[in-house]
Amino acid sequence: MSETATVSIKEQNKSAASSLMKKNLRKFLRNKLAVLGLVVILVILVACVAGALLGVDYSTPNPPIMRQAPSGEHIFGTDTIGRDLFARVLFGGCYSIFIGVFCAVLSSVLGAVLGAIAGYFGKWADMIIVRISEIFQAFPQLVLVMMLVAILKERSINNMLFVFVITGWMTTFRMVRNEFMSLKNETYVKVCEAFGMSRSNVMFKQILPNVMTPIIVSTTTNVAYFILQEASLSFIGLGVSDSTPTWGNILNAAKSIDVVQNQWWLWVFPGLAISLFVLAINFFGDGLRDVLDAKQQ
Amino acid sequence: MLKFIAKKLLLMIPMLIVISLIVYLGLKSTGVDPINSMIPPEVLSQNPELAEQMREELGYNDPVLIQYARWLGNIVRGDFGYTMKNEKIIDIVAARLPYTLELSAYAMLFSAVIGIGIGIISAIRQNGIVDYIGRVLAVLGQAVPQFLVGIILIWIFSIKLGIFPASNRVSPDATNAFVDAFMHLFLPVLTLTIGMVAVLMRYARNTMLDVLNSDYIKTARSKGIPEWKVYLKHGFRNAMKPVLVILMFRIPTLIGGSVVIESVFSYPGIGTTMTNAITNMDYNLVLVITLIIAAVMLICSFMVDVINALLDPRVRLGE
Amino acid sequence: MDSKEIILDVKNLNTTFISDRKEVKIVKNVSFQLKRGHALAVVGESGCGKSVTMNSIMRFLGRNAVIKADSVQYNALHDGKVTEYHLEQIEKSHGPEMRALRGPEMSMVFQDPMSSLNPVYKVGDQVAEGLLQHNKGMTKQQAKEKVLEMFKKLGIPDPEERINSYPHQFSGGMKQRVVIAIAMICNPELIICDEPTTALDVTIQAQIMELLKEMQVQDGKSIILITHNMGLVAEMADEVCVMYMGRVVEFGSLADVFDSPSHPYTRALLRSVPVLGLADGQKLETIPGATPNPADLKGGCEFAGRCEECTGACRERDIPMFEISPGHRVRCLKFKECQEVQ
Repeated sequence: MSETATVSIKEQNKSAASSLMKKNLRKFLRNKLAVLGLVVILVILVACVAGALLGVDYSTPNPPIMRQAPSGEHIFGTDTIGRDLFARVLFGGCYSIFIGVFCAVLSSVLGAVLGAIAGYFGKWADMIIVRISEIFQAFPQLVLVMMLVAILKERSINNMLFVFVITGWMTTFRMVRNEFMSLKNETYVKVCEAFGMSRSNVMFKQILPNVMTPIIVSTTTNVAYFILQEASLSFIGLGVSDSTPTWGNILNAAKSIDVVQNQWWLWVFPGLAISLFVLAINFFGDGLRDVLDAKQQ
Repeated sequence: MLKFIAKKLLLMIPMLIVISLIVYLGLKSTGVDPINSMIPPEVLSQNPELAEQMREELGYNDPVLIQYARWLGNIVRGDFGYTMKNEKIIDIVAARLPYTLELSAYAMLFSAVIGIGIGIISAIRQNGIVDYIGRVLAVLGQAVPQFLVGIILIWIFSIKLGIFPASNRVSPDATNAFVDAFMHLFLPVLTLTIGMVAVLMRYARNTMLDVLNSDYIKTARSKGIPEWKVYLKHGFRNAMKPVLVILMFRIPTLIGGSVVIESVFSYPGIGTTMTNAITNMDYNLVLVITLIIAAVMLICSFMVDVINALLDPRVRLGE
Repeated sequence: MDSKEIILDVKNLNTTFISDRKEVKIVKNVSFQLKRGHALAVVGESGCGKSVTMNSIMRFLGRNAVIKADSVQYNALHDGKVTEYHLEQIEKSHGPEMRALRGPEMSMVFQDPMSSLNPVYKVGDQVAEGLLQHNKGMTKQQAKEKVLEMFKKLGIPDPEERINSYPHQFSGGMKQRVVIAIAMICNPELIICDEPTTALDVTIQAQIMELLKEMQVQDGKSIILITHNMGLVAEMADEVCVMYMGRVVEFGSLADVFDSPSHPYTRALLRSVPVLGLADGQKLETIPGATPNPADLKGGCEFAGRCEECTGACRERDIPMFEISPGHRVRCLKFKECQEVQ
């Protein structure tokens, strides 16, 4: 084949790739809910980070002004020991979103690596990892988390992150493993192996890109999942220690009927923050799935 | 078929042993000394060797695996041991477990009926009004944390309207046990159901849509049979299997959810017991509850296999 | 020709799919006639709209399909009396009028026997279902006897035992026989076969085709056979309808189309059929280029981009049908001297 022909094919691929990207972008922008989701995510994120950077006071108790309804001075009101709720929700957002993003990314990485190893090597490596994942799955995830909390005793934020990552990798694992099992016998993989490409190269550069789309989408929605998980755990009092404000910890106040009845702002505002953020992530994730799902194009 | 069931049941035993061993070792490794809570501190400070003596007597100085074997032997014999407060664990479980089972079973039943029903109708009348409402509900149901749904329901039904009690399972002055149960169960069951329905509905809808696009639906239509027969006899029957399997797979989430919801409604089930046991580091109790939950989970996955076999002639006839 | 002779008369059938708020025309102004007791073969490459045409007539398409036609007339002949049905006037795809026709009058055999049978029911019950639907008052026992009879006729071994089997216990060829049994059980006049043998082994293909031929010749059934296998067409068909990109490009008797193919596409199609004993060095011809995406088509002849004889006029407007000899119609400007027909 002549030189010019090769160049033109390369050019073609390039232009095809950029036009695909443009098409995807257009498709995403057309999905109004997804765009709305992205906007809400960004607004909440920027507000929380800005609040934290400005160093609003979220931790000094001020008993004289406790349980005050929202007013010009405290727009979300104050909590049971007189701390400004707005500042707490902003700080709580930082922690909650950090927990969600960190755990979603790390558990996806863990699941993808284990899935790649199990699916590609098969045999005993596969058997051991699958058995481990089965034992993990013999429990409801929340109960598993509770048990690990019991074993670790100390409820520091690091321990929580560890617990969530350790209990959250199984879905990605299964997805990646199945894909690897069906792809490892494909001719193109055999060709790569015949060329002497290293195993890690074949696994992560040749096969893994095939599952990147579902991994990215599930990582996105897992952010929401972990935020909800943290909130539930904090609500029953087994989450991150009380001194760290997370959305779940703030909502913990609503365990008392008295608060539910008389201080509605204590659960409405943090509840709204969580629900809005999770809703936005779900919309965004759905939009991402529509755009990235090659089968639909 | 009988052989199949027996084999599946037998396979559960080694699984339970492995799980209990792991949990046992894990909880042992925390180094919490149960003796410390058994003896009042003032007695212990006067008499330090008492703790050592008790440890020796109770076998806490033996190798961990021996202790585990002894514990397992006791469990098999029906002796579940004692909590830190020296209550018989078996009594606590017997009192609390039925409440949780009751709560989960109702939530399961209602969410299955409602979720599958709405899902199927949404698939048949795609983009219709039910489909639209269903989709909005599914989105909201997955975004609002379940305990918050519980709080909102308490606020509406207990505080503002005063219809249902906000906590507990039994009223001390109840005259009619059935009415009392209904009043106390309504809100927690509704909360759990809302969460489950959101997921089930979406799944049932997608499964039914897949089925309705398959060739045998066209074959059924080519016979000239009425549409309701096409949907129910040919469509629903085939969509049933994956939906029931997913229903079983949602049980862990349901149990996890009921732990939180019991806490919202101060419901005296096994979930609140577990939460309190962890907070109090009462590890004997945690161990037993974990084992029970694992057993429930294994039974559920066993039921998935049985349902698969019953609904699918390919599995039923062993091919 | 009167309605006694013609069983199905389709005039200007148009089917449009709406996807992603865009309309894509899949079937464009399709007209054809099927004579009673004849076999019509509809040929063309995949995606040319032949299946969609038949599914439009049977009204099996989903909600996103819009079907318009000047006339889709089905003429039933019972005891020498003709009843005319105007299918284009029936509003509901799955309403009682359509359902009354499906089974006793017209039925369909689908492409893939593996997925055409419901996996959870016994095959005997699946065949009997249509029978019980259209014969009120028939007992299950009577239906069973009818099914057994049909199974015997279609050459399914051990029918007594086999009617209680599930589809997964059958081989592909046997499954297709069951699908044919479902189509035949109510004794319809018109059977539409949508690539009935594509999914089957070659030897099984021959058996199934023989079965269909037998039904046409012995029982006087009218058959529409959708296929892209030219060998089958030569063996089975009385008339041939060649379709390309949603249009009928050539229509005529088997002899017309095979002996004097007139549309450039038909000729290319016939040249690309492998023949046993192809001389050494003689290459099998292919049609240059690929089928265009139906969404991107502009006006003019759909085949223009791949046609060797294309002229400027071909791309200007839609090409009408020309009748080049009685009953032989071609959609090509080469014949613009001939009479224009619908």
